[in-house]
This record gives sequence, C-alpha cells and structure tokens, in this order.
Amino acid sequence: MTDFLPIIAQVDSGALGISYLAIGPELILAFGAALILMVDVFYKPRHTVHAGIVFSTLVLATATAILQYDRVQEGATIHFSGMIVADDFAVFGKFLLLLVAALGLLVAWPMVEQLGRRGAEGVALVLLSAAGFMFMVAGANLMMVFLGLEIGSISLYILAGITRESVISDEAALKYFLLGSFASAIFVYGVALAYAGTGELSLSGIAAQLPATAIVLRPGVVLAAMALIITGLLFKVTAAPFHAWAPDVYQGSPAGIVGYMATAAKVAGFAALARILYVSFGSFADDWGPALAAVAAISVVLGTLMAIMQTDMRRLLAYSGVAHAGFILTGIVGGQLRAVWFYLAVYVVQLIAAFAVVSVIAGPTGSVSPLDDYKGLAKRSPYLAGALTVMLLALSGMPATAGFIGKLGVFTSAWGGGYEWLVVTGLVASVAGFFFYIRIMVLMYMQEPVLAEAPGADVAKPYVSPNVEVVLAIAIAITIFFGIYPTPLLNFLG
Amino acid sequence: MEVTAGWYMTLAAVLFLIGAGGMLIRRNALMMFMSIELMLNSVNLTFIAAGKELGSLDGQLAVFFVLVVAAAEVVVGLAIIVSVFQSRSSASADELSELRG
Repeated sequence: MTDFLPIIAQVDSGALGISYLAIGPELILAFGAALILMVDVFYKPRHTVHAGIVFSTLVLATATAILQYDRVQEGATIHFSGMIVADDFAVFGKFLLLLVAALGLLVAWPMVEQLGRRGAEGVALVLLSAAGFMFMVAGANLMMVFLGLEIGSISLYILAGITRESVISDEAALKYFLLGSFASAIFVYGVALAYAGTGELSLSGIAAQLPATAIVLRPGVVLAAMALIITGLLFKVTAAPFHAWAPDVYQGSPAGIVGYMATAAKVAGFAALARILYVSFGSFADDWGPALAAVAAISVVLGTLMAIMQTDMRRLLAYSGVAHAGFILTGIVGGQLRAVWFYLAVYVVQLIAAFAVVSVIAGPTGSVSPLDDYKGLAKRSPYLAGALTVMLLALSGMPATAGFIGKLGVFTSAWGGGYEWLVVTGLVASVAGFFFYIRIMVLMYMQEPVLAEAPGADVAKPYVSPNVEVVLAIAIAITIFFGIYPTPLLNFLG
Repeated sequence: MEVTAGWYMTLAAVLFLIGAGGMLIRRNALMMFMSIELMLNSVNLTFIAAGKELGSLDGQLAVFFVLVVAAAEVVVGLAIIVSVFQSRSSASADELSELRG
C-alpha cells in the first residue's frame, strides 16, 4: 500500500508534462513493429533480417527502461495530462514484459520461420502487444489502462489464430476473441460507472473523490464499478471462476506462441489490478479484500483439482495457471506487492520455459499436446526432460527453486494481511498440486515412449533449436539462482 | 416528466444486461459478437449521460476511445469469424468443440 503514496501525493492533472522517456520503451517497440512490417512489404527479406530488427528493438527498449529506472529512483512522476505514470511499479512491469517478449520471441522463432511471409506479422504483433501491455502497467488513467489492455489483447487474439489454416487454431482464436472482448466490455463498463460515480477517470482522482461521495446512489455505483473492473481484469488473468477460456485457447493456439500469450497478459493484468485496487479503491479495501480472497481460494482449489484430471499438457498448464493466479491474488490481498512481483517474475519465466518444451514436442505451429507424447521423454531427450522437470518442480513450489520463495512471499503477505484461512487453503492446494506435476515426471522417466505407426519415426530425438536451448538455460539459471539466493531480486524490487 | 441523466444510465444498464445475456445465451458467433457491441454501446451511453450530468468533457472524450477500440475489435473479430466460417461453413458455437476436456 505504501508503494503508491507518492503518486497520490502529487495529483497533477492540469500539467501537460510531455516526457518521451516515460513512454520510451513503448514507442520503441511500436516503431520496431512498424519497421518490421514495412521492411517485410518492401524488401521481402529473409527472417534473419527480422531477427536483427527485433533484437535491436528489444535492446533499445531495455536500455530506455533502464534509463527510466534510473529516473524514477528520484520519485514517481505523472506525464501527458495525468495519463502516464513513471514509477518503479511501472518500470518493473516494463522490465518483466520485455523479458517475456524476448523469451517468447525466442521460443516462437521456429514458428515464425515456418509461417513464411506471415511470420513478420506475428513478430510485429508480439512487439505491439508488449507495447500495449506496457501502457497498461504505466496507465495512471482508467482510459489509458483500457486502451493498453485492448492494444495488447487484440494483438493476442490474432496471434492465437495466426496459423489460420488449422481448424483448431481458428477455434482457439474465436473463443479467445469472444470471451476476451466480453471481459473488455465488462471492464470498460466498470470504467464508465466509476466515471459516473466520481466524475473522474484518473486513478488518483477517483481515490480523492471516494470519501466525498455524499449522494446516496453514488457509493452503490462506485461499488458496482469496482466489481466490474475487477471482474474484467480477473478474466484476463484467468482467475477462477473466469478461467473457462484459458484451457481451450492454450490448447488450440500455435505451440510456439502460447508461452508469450499466457504470460504477457498475466503480467499486465495483475499489475493493473494491483495498481487500480490500491491507488483508486484503497479506501474500499474492506469491500474488495474478502471478495478477492474468495476468488483466490476458488482459483487455487479449482485450478489444482482440474489440473489433476487433464490429459493434455497444455490444458494442464492452463489449469495450473488458474491455481497460480490464485496464489498471486493471495499476495495482492495481503498487500505486499514486492512478493507479488517476485512471484510473477519467476512464474512467467517458468511458464515460458515449460511452453518452450511443449513447442518442441508439439512442433512450433502444432495444436494440442496430449500427455502421451511425454511418455519416455527422458530416453528421447534427457535435456528436455530434465529442463521440464526443473520447471515443474519450481511451478509446484519445491524448496531450493524460485517457486518456493515466491510462494513463501505471497503466503507471508496474506498472513500479515489477516487472511490466515487463505494461507491454509493455499498450502493444502500446493501439496495436492505436487500430484499432477509429479505425474508428468513419472510419465517422462518411468514409462516407455509411445511408438508411432512407422517404427522409429516418432521415438527419434526431438529437434531442440538453439533458441529453445537458450530459453531453457536462462529459465533454469533464474529458477535455481533465485531459489537459493533470492536477495538480489528482492532488493531490486524495492 | 423530465428525462434526467439517471434515466439514460438506467437504459444503458438495461442494454448492458441484454448484451451480457445475449453473449451467454446466443450460440451463433456473429450474434455473440453483436451482443458485445451492444455492451460497448451501453458503455458509450453511460459515458455521455454522466458527462452531461457532471458538466465535464471527459465522458464524451472517452466515447471516442471506446468507439475506436470497438472498430478495431470489429476488424479482427469479423476476420476470425470469416476464417472459422470458411473452414466449417457454420459459425455456431456448438460446433466449435474440437477443444474440450
């Protein structure tokens, strides 16, 4: 809660305050996306050219984000007529989104190459959605948050269906689009009601108006607005009971891009949720706290139970994502946002790495990943099986991995916030969760590979591209290093 | 009887509920999509009514942003629906059942 006090202290909606540094990473990503599309149209280059553009875009954007990080150490500032805020919260979100975009593009690169001429569009969409989600984490105005949400989400709808010849990918895109737009409409109706109730669209302005709501109807309108805004964002982060789309979409989308789709939306969704709850509706914490705690409890329980029953790797990861959304919400209701950031940072890396393995097994543009494909993986590719094992152990919260420190953090946060029952629920669900993570390890290490019709065809070693090797190596390094020695990351997060 | 901003907001709430209900009940992708558009239009009505009542321009400005977003959604959404229709010659949600479990 104290993280945001500097922002509330300087409500300054009148000043224009143009600062290109505050939106630097977004500008560079959007420019990079436009450049890729133009170069692709005019010169039809090989994919290595696109790789060069993407690499320099990401490096430049990261450099700008570092400059921004340096600037916000002196205090949070608000720019563009109160639309954009530059504070450490926004900068962490941008760093994380850049990391997710970089890892996601590395995993997606074989897919980009298979897509041929359409590949450049996929790359541009990844960059654009990252820019949109950055606007969302840096938005100081509900309209800005909505626009960022839509820029990011609409790009993701297209990415879900980018292999449009595949009937399954089509279906995933349509489901994602319909339920995603439904969630966006709910969110923006909440924004409209918040405006009707308080006369403000800026996050800090709403907070300033809340104590003064004297008219009888208005507290009701504001409560409805809050509920709608929270519901819309919970859809995006796949918290139960708003998670129904996630398993279908993850299962049907091209394997190469699912990791990015799953993680980017979660980073931005949780960041925006935390910011809106604590900046705008901080004085209503008694109202949303228990509701969000209930959602967190339902998410961890339902996500864990459903994951146990799955027979498809991607559906399993989707339901485990529902459970993880519950753990992250546990941290948010507790109020220690540093723990939430730590959990998010290590979780998204593990998830992208797990989906990287999925993309190797299913093929870069493949849809569906039955668990049978993972039988005997240790014999076919010990490296892949080992990497997936580390990621699954980290996702399950095994000590000596970063996942354990993350869980410890969010549980401490919730315990400190007075939600002891939620911590107990989370602990029980974590222990139950070991079951389905370990089931995959049993499949990989203790069962024989399923033979295809042509003997020896499918049992051959899966081809692991250098990109995926790099992603797995980075993910393993992050997971184990921060699992044993988390202090540097925790200090960095404030 | 004077029609105040409250009436417009009530109408908007009713429209929103009709849209949300249509989204949940309708089985045709195109009709579901139209329901979402109805929800977005009820948002616009709320913004305008509230802006009029509060005497601030923010509400009317917000409408433009919502309109632009709705237009972008139409472009992408219709493309996806057309693509689905081409591969199945039906856009009914009941037939979209490859993915389940």
